[in-house]
Amino acid sequence: MSGELLALFTLTLVKATPLIYAALGGVVGERAGVVNIGLEGMLAGGAFTAVAVSYKTGSAPLAALAGVACGAALGFLLGVAATRWRVDQIVAGTGLNLLALGGAAYALVLVFGRPGASFAVPALGLRGEATLIALALVAALVIDRVLAVTSWGLHVRAAGENPRALDIAGIDPLRIRVQALVLGGALAGLGGVFLSIGELDLYSDGMTAGRGFIALAAVIFGRWTPLGATGAALFFGFFAALQFTLQQSGIPSELMQALPYLAALAALAGFAGRARAPAADGIPYARE
Amino acid sequence: MTGRWRAAGLAAAIVAGVGSIAMLAAGANPIDGFAQLFGGALGDVDELAETLVQTTALLFPALGVAIAFRAGLFNIGAEGQLVMGGLAAGSIGAVLTLPGYVSIPLLLMAGALAGGGWGAFAGFLRARFAANEVITTLMLNVVATLFASYLVGGPLKSPAATASETAILPHASWLPELVRDTRLTLALPIALLVALGLRYLLDRTVFGYELRAVGEAPEAARRAGIAPGRIAIAALGLSGAIAGMGGATIVLGILHRFNVALSPGYGFIAIAVALVGNCDPIAIVAAAFAFGILQNGALAMQAGAGVPRDIVAVVEGLVIFVLAGRQYLTRTVAR
Amino acid sequence: MHALVGENGAGKSTLANVAFGGLHPDAGTIERTGTIGLVHQHFELAERLRVWENVLLGREPCRFWTIDREQAHARVRELATRHGLEVDPDAAVETLPVAVRQRVELLRELERDPTVLLLDEPTATLAPAETEALFTTLTQLAERGIAILIITHKLADVVRFTQRVTVMRAGRIVARMETAQTTLDEIAHAMVGGDLPQVAARTATTPAPYLSFQDLEVRSGEIVGIAGVEGNGQTALFDAIAQIVPDAGIIPQDRQREALVLGWSIADNVALGRQRTRYRRGIVFDRKTARSDAISIIERFDVRPRSVDAPIGTLSGGNQQKIVVGRALEGRPRFVLAYQPTRGIDIGAAAIVQSRLIEARNAGCAILLISFDLDEIFVLADRIAVMYSGRLGPLFPRDSIDRARIGALMTGAT
Repeated sequence: MSGELLALFTLTLVKATPLIYAALGGVVGERAGVVNIGLEGMLAGGAFTAVAVSYKTGSAPLAALAGVACGAALGFLLGVAATRWRVDQIVAGTGLNLLALGGAAYALVLVFGRPGASFAVPALGLRGEATLIALALVAALVIDRVLAVTSWGLHVRAAGENPRALDIAGIDPLRIRVQALVLGGALAGLGGVFLSIGELDLYSDGMTAGRGFIALAAVIFGRWTPLGATGAALFFGFFAALQFTLQQSGIPSELMQALPYLAALAALAGFAGRARAPAADGIPYARE
Repeated sequence: MTGRWRAAGLAAAIVAGVGSIAMLAAGANPIDGFAQLFGGALGDVDELAETLVQTTALLFPALGVAIAFRAGLFNIGAEGQLVMGGLAAGSIGAVLTLPGYVSIPLLLMAGALAGGGWGAFAGFLRARFAANEVITTLMLNVVATLFASYLVGGPLKSPAATASETAILPHASWLPELVRDTRLTLALPIALLVALGLRYLLDRTVFGYELRAVGEAPEAARRAGIAPGRIAIAALGLSGAIAGMGGATIVLGILHRFNVALSPGYGFIAIAVALVGNCDPIAIVAAAFAFGILQNGALAMQAGAGVPRDIVAVVEGLVIFVLAGRQYLTRTVAR
Repeated sequence: MHALVGENGAGKSTLANVAFGGLHPDAGTIERTGTIGLVHQHFELAERLRVWENVLLGREPCRFWTIDREQAHARVRELATRHGLEVDPDAAVETLPVAVRQRVELLRELERDPTVLLLDEPTATLAPAETEALFTTLTQLAERGIAILIITHKLADVVRFTQRVTVMRAGRIVARMETAQTTLDEIAHAMVGGDLPQVAARTATTPAPYLSFQDLEVRSGEIVGIAGVEGNGQTALFDAIAQIVPDAGIIPQDRQREALVLGWSIADNVALGRQRTRYRRGIVFDRKTARSDAISIIERFDVRPRSVDAPIGTLSGGNQQKIVVGRALEGRPRFVLAYQPTRGIDIGAAAIVQSRLIEARNAGCAILLISFDLDEIFVLADRIAVMYSGRLGPLFPRDSIDRARIGALMTGAT
């Protein structure tokens, strides 16, 4: 009995880890006032870049760094769009997803010569996987503290509540927002790294499977706090693990796969309206 | 007027610029690549017909997305609504043996109702629980695909087929071809009629007035007695219905059965189409045609110049990304 | 202390913002010595953050990478005591009343040790007693050597407290005076460039009961004015009454957000609110009738430019408000609910709006007016009540009460 529980527990952590990273990335961006729908694309970008770099260099740790960098770059792109060009953040995020997912599919053919999936590449191994899992939980705590007690954290929160107040105080809220998104993208990228070379050792088209959107739901559940979002991510990870475990039981696999999404919908109906997003969330800031 | 052209101009610039770079990266000559693209899409009657098929497939969900945008709502779930529409048309159509002039309208309505219900559900969640429709429509996309996958893999699976799909529809229920031996059917004129109807709805009717008011000035609309919840359900319902009808036309006109692969992401690309068309139904027709060229030409480009066709997705994503600053979107949306 | 006066739209806030550095000028030069602080008309505070976080934003005391909260609290407390502006450093701004929030904003500026302090309409949302307190503080600051510039349109305050006055009109400076050597009327004259426009006269009416809501009673042929400081429940009252009388003429507080669709034409905006009744034929929107109604409003209210199809966002605030009021009065409703009907508009437009409201009253309309501007209450109301802390006080006929008493009621006296 306990062996099965242990397996479920471990699987929960494994399934939850990419969600935690993505959700933390979402929280940081949103607290600064930028809605990040592009988490899915950042996951995919990080996942693919890691596999491509691992393939070319043979070094999994280097590949992991590359994946993080890719996520950070995508975050930067979204940040610039949201601040300098003042585009609608939600639509831009959707565009980013298409862009990143399409770009990964495109580069897949370029790098590996065939569509659909890459070859197996050097991965992070069991030790690497465990490190990333632990790191995710540590990151949750660290980000929570950073937002609460550091100067930068205060600036991020101010950028999300009233960017003009921050501007008056002599700090550029646009710069802060871009910084927050770069950090957020890096985190999501790390989540993607875990997906491709942490849990497995390859990249396949569509492997992100909507996790970026579940992470968004986790951000909302968690009331835009790092610890709350992590808890929500663990909750969803549990459902994903459950689906995997119950595969043999005759329950249609599609139903099990749909569980996290149904749970997210139910919770959005239940929780929504009570939590409040940062006041300037989603509103582009304009210097006159 | 100028806004519409600016969007189109920017989009064209992105396609040309980014497309060229990507083609170079793939080791192809951009001029050759674009030649293959346009030649493949417009070169002869058959190819033009296929381009129009893609245009139609994009036009339905794009019109739906645009309606939602005009109401200040983000319908990212057109893909799922399309699937539900196709599922309804395919599963009912498989067992319906009525003459075409009865069955086709019936099945199109079924598709619209299924898609509309799917969209209205997201609208209901927004109206009643203030649930963010971006997330709910995204979630419902996945649920729709999984649900449809389950049904055609099991209960609705055609006994005659090995793949997971419904039985082939009786010929009476197939949409009549417009050009022989192509996939271009009555779906195109139907889509054009829908576009005209929407233009009229938005500009001339009281419903359109209220919908636009909610989209452009939600607080003022509320004070004017327009219930935001009612509009959310109606707008997302209408949006889903149009996308659902689009899914039905794919089943009735192209595949003649339903399987879950009926859409290569039309619902997402439709967002780009709606933006390039400035959320105006007539301009969207032109935008859909432009994207139809991209979609159809990409295959030829892949075969002829060796450029992987996913470049089209990249370009479309970039277009959405850059055009996200359209006038309907830069106001603060009440959430 | 130096006052910068001018009517709404004259350019005072713009000038101040440019001087402060919040806005970038298109032409011209600015000479600055030392730091400048600006207390905004609509405070720029992060409401969900704490007082100390707002005051010390950007200058937080740090130990290594974390903020030293103790030191932060101490700094705020010290600053507060030095200037006589009591606040709780740890309170969340959103829980504070308006006058205290203003203190936080002031402290934020004082923290930077400014040589010049600009205040944009600081008394717009204060009760008379709070205004006194503010000016006491400002006088002390002036005595300590800080140059104070107050932007205001409240000439009574200018005459009482300042040493110099600069008058702006239509974006230009038109007069510079020593306060001691001028009169209120002279200043007003310079502000408007002529005589103050007259408001329509009240005629005798025979009020009959129209609406009764808890202790509030509004009668036809009269205007009931609700005075009070912003934030004492007026908005809730407005929303409640608006629900009770659905076919009332409504003039909301924030025209751009709550009354108009800025991208639409004047005609389409005129239809807003009655698109289902007067302006509909079947499922079709009756734009023709909307246009003709718009034309008649443009005439009655002297709206410029006189174009029915112009997007209403291109009109000035005063002209926009004329449309809002004209729409509310269109169709001769029996009840009009007006919330800050002359907020932020120029004197000429304000006079027209107030005149039309009085004319409606003369014709038998029942009007409920909610305003934070005591002057407006006294111009328009037949009977006055004060709202404080969510409670409505008793109604007084206009002749039976004076400003001092109302001022006291506005701060909670009984």
